[in-house]
Amino acid sequence: MAETEQINMSVKIGRLKLKNPVMTASGTFGYGEEYADYVDLNKLGAVVVKGLSLKPRAGNPPPRVMETPGGMLNAVGLQNVGVEAFISEKLPFLRKYDTKVIVNIYGENYDEYKKVTRKLSAAKGVHAVEVNISCPNVKKGGLSFGADPKTAATVTRKVKEVTDLPVIVKLTPNVTDIAAIAVAVEKAGADAISLINTITGMSVDIFTGRPHLKNITGGLSGPAIKPVALRMVWQVLQNVSIPVIGIGGIMNAEDALEFLIIGAKAVQIGTANFINPQATMEVIGGIKRYMEMTGIKNISKIIGTFKA
Amino acid sequence: MKNVYIGEILKNEEIAQDCFLMRVALHVSFPDPAAGQFVMVRVSGIAEPLLARPFSVYSFERQNNSCALDILYRVLGRGTQVMAGLLNGTQVEILGPLGQGFEIKQNKKNIILVGGGMGVAPLTYLALHLNNYMCSSFSTMYFYLGAQNDEALIGVDELKKLSCTAITCTDDGSRGEKGLVTQILLKDLKKFSPEETMIYACGPKPMLKALAKILRKTKYSCQVSLEEKMACGVGACLGCAVPVKSRNSKPAYKRVCADGPVFDINEIVWK
Repeated sequence: MAETEQINMSVKIGRLKLKNPVMTASGTFGYGEEYADYVDLNKLGAVVVKGLSLKPRAGNPPPRVMETPGGMLNAVGLQNVGVEAFISEKLPFLRKYDTKVIVNIYGENYDEYKKVTRKLSAAKGVHAVEVNISCPNVKKGGLSFGADPKTAATVTRKVKEVTDLPVIVKLTPNVTDIAAIAVAVEKAGADAISLINTITGMSVDIFTGRPHLKNITGGLSGPAIKPVALRMVWQVLQNVSIPVIGIGGIMNAEDALEFLIIGAKAVQIGTANFINPQATMEVIGGIKRYMEMTGIKNISKIIGTFKA
Repeated sequence: MKNVYIGEILKNEEIAQDCFLMRVALHVSFPDPAAGQFVMVRVSGIAEPLLARPFSVYSFERQNNSCALDILYRVLGRGTQVMAGLLNGTQVEILGPLGQGFEIKQNKKNIILVGGGMGVAPLTYLALHLNNYMCSSFSTMYFYLGAQNDEALIGVDELKKLSCTAITCTDDGSRGEKGLVTQILLKDLKKFSPEETMIYACGPKPMLKALAKILRKTKYSCQVSLEEKMACGVGACLGCAVPVKSRNSKPAYKRVCADGPVFDINEIVWK
């Protein structure tokens, strides 16, 4: 028992201190309450909530999800309750827990990003914002901000201007040069970078000749994208010095450890929550067992130990 | 804390062409499903299918130290193809029971169940529940069950064990009355007073849409159980959206998994 107590899994994302490096990925864990019956939220490094916009959004017409080999496509279309309802109806629940609350935000223009950020900064119980500049499902905004270093930097700067909260910028993989975007947002003042969001894909029903998703295209997530995610996180890490959070197809502790070894300070668990509601707890438990097995007492001795 | 249950397949039989009955043994702590609730089923330790699949509860029996859950499914895609090949003794992960089941109103004397194809599953479980616990509150129960043809008409034998009047029909007339189940119901509908009748329905979307059209200008109460592709089953992924009526006529969606799968028929936008 004494052995176990010495294990230190806490990590720092800039000023943000987490009890362990495992967070939930935005859009896969609702507002926390959806999984509170299955997961002790106190044990998570952080809860990253469903992306919020200034006004509530209804989302896309169904079908919105489709399983594909090793993953799934989704075109939910950023359905959310809006920032005000989040603060009054969802945040009080999360405040009861001893975990960090990271709020993913989305705007259709710079002004919306600023307004959402201002409202969240004034609310009690928000520990950081994660700026979605990458959601591929909405025609306006989304893709254009994250696909160009200039607009990505401008969004980052606008958000930074109006908040003292740590700002994490979440990158899209649907770009030619991910490192250039990462460098641009770092220069613009981002406190951390998270990646990757989903990879745009599609799927066709051969019997009807129609797309499986009403939106035609959707974001691919799940184990199929992990090697791509790992490669992109690695490319970004070679070009920036701010903390990087690895996301993409992490199903278990082994997957999470790959991201930590290449240098990610933390990871987010996404699609795995859908497959196993307790996936986050199993990742945390698995990392701990790995540390016990290898005699590593502090997780910082794992992070960035990659030998290329 | 709720858990994912590990169940063991006791039976996985093809009871008709491409149609399977799976019985899963579960730990005694598995909660009693309400009629209309569903479970997410996933085969342990395999990569494909990746996501669990939702199935409504067809039957649930509790013995002294275990319980048995029955689901009825038709082989339609990769998930059900893999399920159909599973042998007795295989472990499956069961999440549930999930969702909001049928609401049972005490003041309805007549119960009408309208099922199409696999829609028979939650309605049979509901009928059993009404027979066992609610028989004093209603006087008549009619079960309208339709399918394309005799072969696709599943679960008729189970209906015979219930105290209800079963009316079967097929599109081609190969069994029971000839015609769509909604048309057969329409012929009989005036026998039931709207105030004293509750209709429960489950089946393919065109059937439910036709039913909604029949009932639109009437005072009949009707609850429908819906199906949609879903990833999580607990309300987080927002994949299983169903369009619902909104005050300002802007698009609005509810989640089949967490807000349903049972809805008032008038709440849904039937496109």
